[in-house]
Amino acid sequence: MKVVVFWGCRILTSQFAYEMSVRETFPKLDVELVDLSETNCCGDPVKSMNDFAANYLAARILALANNTGLEHLLVPCNRCHFVISEAKNIMAKNDDVSKKVGELLKEEGLIYNPDIKIWHTIDFLHDLIGLKSIKKAVRKPLKDLKLATHVGCQIIRYSELGRVDDAENPQKLDELVNELGAKSIDYAEKLDCCGANLMHSHVDSALSLAGTKLASVQSYDVDGLVVSCPDCGLMFDFKQKDAATTAGVKLELPVVYYTQLLGLALGVEQEKIGLHLNQSPIDKLLSKVSA
Amino acid sequence: MSKFWRRFKRLVLKRKRKKEAIKLSLTDLMSMAKPNLESREKILHKLSGRELVNCFQCIKCTSGCTALKLLELKPHEIIKLFNLGFVDELASSDIIWTCATCLKCLQRCPQRASPYHVIMALRNLAVEREAKVPEGYLKAVSRILETGLAEGVQDVVSRKMEVFNRENLKLPKIAYPKESFQAAFMKAMEER
Repeated sequence: MKVVVFWGCRILTSQFAYEMSVRETFPKLDVELVDLSETNCCGDPVKSMNDFAANYLAARILALANNTGLEHLLVPCNRCHFVISEAKNIMAKNDDVSKKVGELLKEEGLIYNPDIKIWHTIDFLHDLIGLKSIKKAVRKPLKDLKLATHVGCQIIRYSELGRVDDAENPQKLDELVNELGAKSIDYAEKLDCCGANLMHSHVDSALSLAGTKLASVQSYDVDGLVVSCPDCGLMFDFKQKDAATTAGVKLELPVVYYTQLLGLALGVEQEKIGLHLNQSPIDKLLSKVSA
Repeated sequence: MSKFWRRFKRLVLKRKRKKEAIKLSLTDLMSMAKPNLESREKILHKLSGRELVNCFQCIKCTSGCTALKLLELKPHEIIKLFNLGFVDELASSDIIWTCATCLKCLQRCPQRASPYHVIMALRNLAVEREAKVPEGYLKAVSRILETGLAEGVQDVVSRKMEVFNRENLKLPKIAYPKESFQAAFMKAMEER
C-alpha cells in the first residue's frame, strides 16, 4: 500500500526519532511512504492569529497531497491532524471559505481535494494495517515491559469531527502496545495534557503540566511512557529535565514513541529508529528488552 | 509593502516597546466594562453551528480545563461574559492566551457551546485590533513567512552528547515551499 506523508514542522525540525522510526518500520509492514513535493506549516499557531489563513495552510497540504494521486494521507502529528481535519470540515460546510481558499490555491496551480482520507499513526496501524498483521510481523516480543500510554489531546477530541479514538476512553494505542507483547496499564492521569501548546505563551506552566504528569506516571512503577505525538515527545522526552526542575520533582522516566517500540519488536537496529536521540533515560527500558 | 506585513511589523514593534505592559486581569477590565453587541454578533456569525447562547453554566468545561489550575482560565466565565457582550474586555485580557487547546471543554459541553472556538475567535479579534499577542505566536508566523515552517530546523544532542542533524541521520532534505507560497500566505493573512 502506498501512502503520502505530511510530517509537519515539529517532526522535521527536532523530533527526528519519530520520523526515523516511521520511515523504518512502515515499509516492514508493506507500506510505501511517499513524501510531499513541498511542505508548509499545517496552520496550528496561525489559528490563534487568523482563522482563515490557518484553513488555507491546511487546505494547501491536502492540495499538495492531491498532486500525488494517492487517497491516503498519513499525518503523524496530533496537532497537524486536528488542524487539517477541522479545515477539511470547514471547507465542506462553509462555501465562502472554501471558495476563497480555492482561489488562493489556484494562484499556485493547486487543486483542493476533499476526498483524501486523513490518518494518524495510531489509527493507520490499528485500523488499516490491523492488529493481526502487526502481531505477525513481531520478531522480538517485548515481554516483561509494563508501559503507560499517552495518546495526547487533539487526535481524540472533539468527536463530532470524527477522531482517531474514543474521547474519554482511548484504547487503540494500548491495544497496539499489548500486541507487541508488552503490557499497558490503565491509570488516572491518562487524559492529562502535556501542555505543549502553552510553550508559545506560558513556558513555566507548560513545563509544570508536563512534570506533574510525568511524576504521576512514574509513581505507577512502569518501565516507560509511550507517546505518539511529536509535541508530547518534545515535552515528556526532550524537556523532561526542565519539567522536573519547574515542577520540583525527580524524574527518571523513559519516554519512547510507539513507532520506536514497534521497531524494537520488529527487530530493527536501535540506531535506525533513533533510540540514541531520546533525551529521557531509556537505557533502563532497552536493557530489559535485549535481556 | 502589503497591508498585512505593515500591520504585522507594527504589532512586533509595539510588543517590543511595551515589554512590561501593565497586565490587566479580567476583574480590572470589568470594572468599567461596556457590552459591545456588534462584535458579539460578528463572532456568533463566524461560529455558526456552535450554539453559544445555549450555555447554562454547568461548569463541566471549567472542571476539566487544563489551564484552570495553573493559569486560572475559567471557560464558563468566558462564555458568560461573551454572551453578555463584553467582547472588548475579553479581547484585551491576558486570559484568552492561557488556553492549552486540549479541547476537553467542547468535547464535554452538553450544549455544544465550545469555549475553545470562542477563545480562538477572541484571539483573532485581539490580533485584528493589534492588542498584545504573546511573542511565540508572532515568531511562528514570521518563520512561516520566511521558510513556510513554524519551527526552525535544529541540531539535536544524543544521550552520549554527540551532535546530530538531518544530514548525518540520513534523513531527506526538507522540501521548503516554492516562492509563490509567500505571496499567497500574506494574502490569506489579510483575510478577515
